[in-house]
This record gives sequence, C-alpha cells and structure tokens, in this order.
Amino acid sequence: MTLGEMEDMMDSCVRCSKCKFIPQLVIQSKRFSSICPSIDYFNFHAYSGGGRMITASAYYKGRIELTPEMLNVLYGCTNCGGCEVSCKWVYELEPNEAIHELRVAAVEAGVGPMLKHKKYIELVERNKNPYGEDPDKRPAWLTDDITTDESSSTLYFVGCTASYRREEIAVATAKILNSAGEDFRLMGSDEMCCGSPVYRVGDEKSAIEIMKSNIEQFKEAGIEKIITSCSGCYNMLKVEYPRFVEHDIEVVHTSQIIEGFLKDGKINLTEKVPLKVTYHDPCHLGRMAEPYIPWEGEKIEVLSQVYIYDPPKPERRGAGGVYDAPRNVLKQIPGLELVEMERIREYSYCCGAGGGCKSAFPDFALWASNERLEEAESTGASTLVSACPFCGTNFKDGIESRNSKMEYFDITELVLRSIGGDK
Amino acid sequence: MLEKDVYAAFKKIVGERNISQDPGVMDSYAFQWCNEIESAQRGEEPQRFGVRPLAVVLPKSTEEVQAIVRLCNEHDVSYKAFCTGMGPWAGLSSPRGIQIDLRRMNSILEIDEKNMYAVIEPYVTNAQLQCELFRHGLMHHAQGAGPQTSPLASHTSFVGPGFTSPYTGFSGRNVLGVEWILPDGEILRLGSYDHNGKWFTGDGPGISLRGIMRGWLGAYGGLGVFTKAAIRLFSWPAPKEWKWKTSGTIPEYDWDIPPFWKMYVLNFEEWEEYQNAMYELSDREVTMVATTSAPEGLAALFTNTKQEAIESIFAGLLAKTRNYIVMLVAAHTEREFEFRTKLVQSIMEKYGGNDLIEEGVTVPKPMHYGETVRNMLGGHAFRFSNCFQSTHGGMDTIAMAVRLAQLNQPVKQKYIDKGVIGDDRGLGVWITSYESGHMAHMETPTVYDPTSVESCLGYAAYQDECNQMDLDEALGMPFFIVGDDVHNFYAERTMNYADWIRKIKAAFDPNGVSDPSHYVKGGERKK
Ligand SMILES: Cc1cc2nc3c(=O)[nH]c(=O)nc-3n(C[C@H](O)[C@H](O)[C@@H](O)COP(=O)(O)OP(=O)(O)OC[C@H]3O[C@@H](n4cnc5c(N)ncnc54)[C@H](O)[C@@H]3O)c2cc1C
Ligand code: SF4
Ligand code: SF4
Repeated sequence: MTLGEMEDMMDSCVRCSKCKFIPQLVIQSKRFSSICPSIDYFNFHAYSGGGRMITASAYYKGRIELTPEMLNVLYGCTNCGGCEVSCKWVYELEPNEAIHELRVAAVEAGVGPMLKHKKYIELVERNKNPYGEDPDKRPAWLTDDITTDESSSTLYFVGCTASYRREEIAVATAKILNSAGEDFRLMGSDEMCCGSPVYRVGDEKSAIEIMKSNIEQFKEAGIEKIITSCSGCYNMLKVEYPRFVEHDIEVVHTSQIIEGFLKDGKINLTEKVPLKVTYHDPCHLGRMAEPYIPWEGEKIEVLSQVYIYDPPKPERRGAGGVYDAPRNVLKQIPGLELVEMERIREYSYCCGAGGGCKSAFPDFALWASNERLEEAESTGASTLVSACPFCGTNFKDGIESRNSKMEYFDITELVLRSIGGDK
Repeated sequence: MLEKDVYAAFKKIVGERNISQDPGVMDSYAFQWCNEIESAQRGEEPQRFGVRPLAVVLPKSTEEVQAIVRLCNEHDVSYKAFCTGMGPWAGLSSPRGIQIDLRRMNSILEIDEKNMYAVIEPYVTNAQLQCELFRHGLMHHAQGAGPQTSPLASHTSFVGPGFTSPYTGFSGRNVLGVEWILPDGEILRLGSYDHNGKWFTGDGPGISLRGIMRGWLGAYGGLGVFTKAAIRLFSWPAPKEWKWKTSGTIPEYDWDIPPFWKMYVLNFEEWEEYQNAMYELSDREVTMVATTSAPEGLAALFTNTKQEAIESIFAGLLAKTRNYIVMLVAAHTEREFEFRTKLVQSIMEKYGGNDLIEEGVTVPKPMHYGETVRNMLGGHAFRFSNCFQSTHGGMDTIAMAVRLAQLNQPVKQKYIDKGVIGDDRGLGVWITSYESGHMAHMETPTVYDPTSVESCLGYAAYQDECNQMDLDEALGMPFFIVGDDVHNFYAERTMNYADWIRKIKAAFDPNGVSDPSHYVKGGERKK
C-alpha cells in the first residue's frame, strides 16, 4: 500500500495517544504501562505511532519535508508494531504500516535510510551479512559433532546474527535437531541475509531483490521446510516474503519445532535446569508474526456513515503470534520456574534493537533494553529468556551496561542443557 | 519561526533534547480530531491540521514551566500547555505561539490513603493512577475521554463527566488544590498546601480561587499552566487482596470481576418511567454507573469488534431496546450487595422496566466490567466510525437531561434526513447521572464524515440549532462551551457571564499570552 492509498486511514487518527500504552485493560502498574520505547525515549508526539502517522500524512500532502530531524523521527522507531496493537483495540488504523511506507517513500525520495543503514546495506550486498563478516566464515560455528544432511529438504536457515554473533544459538539449534533425529541441511557460506535489516529501513527495492534470490535458491535446493532460530528471519520468511514473492515453503521457528519434538517424544528434557526465568516475547515472533493475508473487496455502508469491508478484512491485531510454543517448552524443563512480566504476548515491550535502531540509535536501543531488563528484574527471575539472537544481543549489552545480575539465555540453550546436549 | 535568540533562550531552559521547531514535529501537534469542522466553516477543505506551533517544549519541572511562561511574556509569544492533548482545545489559536507538552512531568507525588486524596503531575494518566490507587483500596474520578487521558487536565481545566459519575461526580467537583503558574509566570498554590504541606482542602486558609481558576467549564488552557493537582479519592469497592488481573489475548481478554459486582441494563418503554427510575436509583445510591446511550450505542458497548456490534444490531437488538440505563452495582460486602441488588430489582419492577442482560439481549463479558471501571466504554463508540462530535448538551437535573433528549430527537432527525450526519434515528445521546442525586449530564454524540464539506457543515448547523434550542427552551447550562462566539451566544441570556470571564482573563493575563484558543480572549494584547 502506498502513502496515497493510506491517506484516509492516516487522517482518521484521533490523536488519542492510546498507541503510547499497552492496551488499557491490561495495564497493571504505572511503571510498566507504556508500549512504545520511542515515545518513552524521545518524548515528542511525533515519536509515537500516531504521531508518525500524522507526519507521514503531512509529508504526503506536501506540508513538510524530510529534514534531518524528520529522519530521526522516522528511524528512531523499532518498528515493533506495539502501537498498532493498541490502536486496533478500537480503531482500524495501521500506524506501523504507515511508518514503513514513509520509510519506503523516504528511500524513494533519496533521503532515507540513514547513513549507518546505507553502510550495512552495502555490506549485505557485498558480504551477504550486515556485519561485514567474511561470507566463507558463515558456517564457522559448525562443530564436528553436528550432523547435517545436504540432501534434506529441510533447511536450518541460521541467519546473520546467530552465524556471526550468537553462535551458541546456532550450535544449540543444530544439536537439538540432531537429537530429535530431524534431518536438515544448511546453506553454509551461500546463505544470504534474509533481508530484514534492509526491508525494515524502507529499502524495499533491494529487499525484494534479496527475497527473490533467496526463494530462488531455496527452490533450486528443493527446500520444503525452513527452520529458523531468529525471530527476524522468521518474520521475513513467514510474513513479509509472501507479500512480495510467492512461495509455499513451510516456515517454523525453533520454539515451535521443539514444542512438536516434545509432543512426539522425539526429545526428552531429563536434566534439571534450576532457574527462575522470565520470557521476553520478541516482536517479530509475537504480534508482528501474524500472516499478512492480502485482501481485496469493497467498503460498504451498512448503516448510515458506518462502513464494513466486504468480504471481511483479515484482522491483524497481534493475537495470532507465536506466544504459547516457547512458554510450553519452558514449562516442561524440569527445575525451571517461569514467571511472567507485566507486558507479555501482543503487548510485550520491545527490546529496542529492531527497525535499524541498534545501528543508527545505539543509545536509544541500549536504553530500551534497560527498560525491559528492569521489568524482567522486577519479577524476581534470575534469568531472562527469549527466542531471538538480535534481542539477545541487545539484552546482553543492556545487562552489561546496568551491571545486572541477570543472565540471558536463548530458549534453545536451555533446551540443549535439559536434554543433556551441552555436556 | 521564532527569532533565533528567543529559541535559544527556550532551549537553555529545557535543554536541547526537549525543544523542537521542526515543521514535521510541529505538525504532529497541529493535527487534531474535529479540526475539520472549523476548517470547513472557514470555507477551506476539511482538514485536521490546525495552527502549527512555532516550537514545542518539554519541561520537566515547575521551575522550567515558570521560566518558559516568563519568557513568553517577555517576548510576546503565546503558549498553550496540555497533558495528553486529545482534542482541538489542546491546540493553539495564535500563529505566534508555542506548545508546552507536559509529558515529562508524570509523577504521582502522594497518595494519602487516610485522607483520601492524591497529588499528581500533569502526565499521569487515568489508568496509571487507577492502578496505583487500587493497592490502597481507593479510586479516583476519571473523565470519559478515556484511561489514557490525564486526570489533572480534566480536574483543572475541563468539566469531566465519566462513567463512574454517579459515584465519583465530575472532575470539576473533585479538585482540591493546585499548583498554578499564572499567565504572567507567578506561582500560586491554592488550598492548604502552602500552609502545612498537606493538600486535603482546595480552599483556605487563603482565599478561594477555585472558581476563578476553572469555574464550571474549565479554562481549556487559557489561563496559565497547572503543574500539580490534589484530587479527591473514593473507596474502591473490592477486597484489598483483589488484584486487577487481565488474561487472554486481544480482543477477547478475560478479567477477574470483584466478588460483589453485577451489571444491569434496565430498559424502560417510556422516557417518563426511565426518568422516575433514574431519580430513584440515584437517590438510593445503588449504582456506580448509570449510563444511557442510543440502542445502537448498546450494540457497541458490550462487543469487541465492529463486526460483532453490527451483527448484534442485525440480530434484532434495536427492536428490543428503548430507554435504557447501564448500571453497575459494586458493593464492598455481601450484605451490601444483596441489599442493593434487591433494591434495583424493586425499582425496576416499580417502573415497569426489564433487564436486557437477564433477557440475553446484550451480554457483557467479564472484560466489559473491567472496561467500564477503566473508563473505556466511550472508546467503543469509535468502533462504528472514527468521527463523531457531541453537542454542547446540558448539565442539570435528570428531568432536564430527559427533556433535552426528547427535544433533540426531531432536530437530529432533520439532519439525518438530509443525509449529512449518521442515522441513529435521532436517539444518540449520552446521559449519566451525577453524585447519586438529582443531577445528570446529557450530550448528543453524532457521527459525521470528516472528509465531506457538506457533512462537516451539516454537523455544525445541527449543533447551532441545538444551541439555539438550549436557549429557547431553557435547557440548562451546557457542559461544554468553546470560544468567544459561543460564550457570547449563551451570555446574552445568562447575565453576560462571559464579560466577567473576560475581565478575569485580562486581569490574570495582562499580556494576553496564555493562548485562549477555545476559551475567551481577554483584553486586547498590548503589542
Ligand atoms: C473523543 C473524545 C472524547 C471525550 N470525552 C470526554 C468525556 O467523556 N468527558 C470529558 O470530561 N471530556 C471528554 N473529552 C474532552 C477532553 O478533551 C478531555 O476530557 C481531556 O481532559 C482529556 O485529557 P487530556 O489529557 O487529553 O487533556 P488535554 O487535551 O491535555 O487538555 C485538555 C484541555 O485542558 C488544558 N490543559 C491540560 N493540562 C493543562 C495544564 N496542566 N495546565 C493548563 N491547561 C491544561 C489543555 O490546554 C486543553 O485545553 C473528550 C475528548 C475527546 C477527543
Ligand atoms: S494511531 Fe490510533 S491509537 Fe494512536 S493516536 Fe491515532 S487513533 Fe489514537
Ligand atoms: S512501531 Fe514500536 S517504536 Fe515504533 S512507534 Fe510503534 S510502538 Fe513506537
């Protein structure tokens, strides 16, 4: 959808500020009542979902230009989708979609993305990863005791962060798959970034190129199923790719496949993991992970000035994310106690790293992770668990910055411990 | 643009991160719901962008606000403060003006459980305050605008009807004391605070200025800036060990209803029976909520999506619904609950009513109990359309509210027939009783199309006709009057009160820099 197609929607914002908070009914305390790390940090209304939508409309109408300060507004947002969940409690607006479209428009106009983003996009194009690491070293995490099957139609898509920064997740995932007897192959040094960091900052053209070439590569390799241990990759492959490139490859996240292994008795959690943990829902595995079902139809007036969509528009309110699988897995780990934070599921508070913020606004990203860590600490848990290497990196940085006693683990690491695979 | 040195002086007060003059950032402040009506009346294309501020500042303390206000006086810059800024009255009217966004002043300074008051800063929201008060077995009055809006804004600057009004009254009634930066920058603390550091009363030992500070309607930010407010609290009818607990996933949340709570939708065939029942229910202090809307409104109250609401209409809800009162009996103890529910039953029978919940016409789920006390039901009205506005209505007796509703119906129907406003058969009202007494509030929310000139102007004409009817039929005092013209309109037959407000405004704001926008302008500006 272009900004033009969104104009009516953008103009019907009520400027009510609901998008700054988690849905009002679930607020339990003042301290943890907000949903938007961006407005919490930058404070001007323009830094909220609704505020950004207003600026997007102002830009579309030719009222404003994309000044350097506007670029901060536009990119100082983790694209976490929290605003949209809260708005949709009552309205039919999509602030997060509007933010994305304004980013696309900014790139098309030659002003976006930001310098830091441009640099990593170049690296993705050159080295297949935004970190600028050697593509040949992509599978360097692979240890001798891991078995892969290059003829398998199941691909473990490792992703850039697990390949180069959080190798322990890649190792844990592969070992769990081995332990369950699940054949899989890797793309090795041929694996290309999923395109998330490119897509999220509005360089849609380059991102679509990446999506197309990845899908082509998967098809050539006969891939029917992709396993991913990264929420960002999951989101791209499962939700964003089908918006631009047709594919019928099944996409599953590690938390889902592990839940299945446990149900089918393919792995046994025998070792105690005596930890009190709290679980952070990554935005891209949670509220943003609902499939995007294209809709075609018309708006019809059913009562005077009251319109409905015919056929009904598929709702994307955040309810259909992957919330239960990781919790079901954690609850089955012996010795482990799971306690919940106040902001969970579709109203989870973002870790602060997404949408290009970790690179362009590192102070903001770190601040947001501290906010979330404070909430995690308030549960009395000793350990924060999540299911995304990128969230993990930001949380680890946050833990260090605040000298927290809290530990961080990916869900795969705890499962590996419990099946005795870390020995 | 502000002059460079003036901008720099503001920057010095709040720091670089807390000031902006970027046009895009400014536009996010200029944009307001319902501005399109005013722009259509000016003969422009209907649009929500109003006056763009020259700068926005985000102060953190009383001292910073005071310094900003003084600087505005020095440099002839208008200012307007707001808390969450929902509604056109939070915006500017003067092109040489700045917006004071109080978002960073967001602390609950004190909760005095024994003396039942709280002291809050501007950007504490209703939901946030409520959460903290429940732990003390207390609640406050939250205005119907929603849980995400500011109780300080409402208590200091607006009338403030809400869903718990039968129990908690309205905001204007509940403000105790305030810290007030007067339009010229002087600080005034009303009430006992300055005397003993406690804030249990809004008047004395000094002179009482509450009437001047807000009067009946509030000054909508046209009379300086409020930086703290002490507000009255009420007992929260739930056991202390009860906790606010929501589970499940959007849109079907579940909510733990406290033990002695029950909702009713009492329905009466005729307005007269409705009126008698409303008086008696209020007089007997049985209900925390007593709200009336159109039958269409009932469809939206206890459903979670537009689709569901529309389906309930097509399932025949309208035919079974006449003049109804949504009620919540919320008792502290079992005996109190039994007494109240029996009383409700007997009042219902006495006036020939029926309970639409009992009959399955509408079925509030547990989450709707939570939404009711969190003041979220008003938001449900937006499920049908993102655009409605309300007439100025009346805040008077229950009988007057009923009369207003009856007289309003044919007027509204005329505009419905013209096709310029949404069709609620002229029945779209919001009535709530106040303070378990004779008082009630009535307004008529009306759906219109914000993109159509005809619809915006049609709505404005409908509102004008309602205003005229207020005067011609002596329908009591509107709860909401915006701007000089409308004040003048009413003032003609109400002892020219607006002249007095203007005198106050001129005396308190000699330089005319506290942007009146929807309030009254004082004397002429000096420069
Ligand atoms: C959809 C909608 C529904 C509404 N429903 C209701 C309702 O049911 N009941 C009701 O009472 N009102 C209602 N209102 C009106 C009103 O806007 C709110 O009650 C208002 O108080 C909301 O809080 P806020 O934080 O957004 O206020 P703001 O918009 O921040 O402020 C409201 C007014 O007070 C002034 N003000 C705020 N804070 C200060 C301060 N610290 N110092 C000086 N001036 C200040 C502002 O300039 C503005 O004019 C509604 C408004 C809308 C848009
Ligand atoms: S985007 Fe939605 S929630 Fe945010 S201000 Fe606009 S209408 Fe309200
Ligand atoms: S996407 Fe997230 S960070 Fe961006 S405006 Fe919405 S809630 Fe805020």
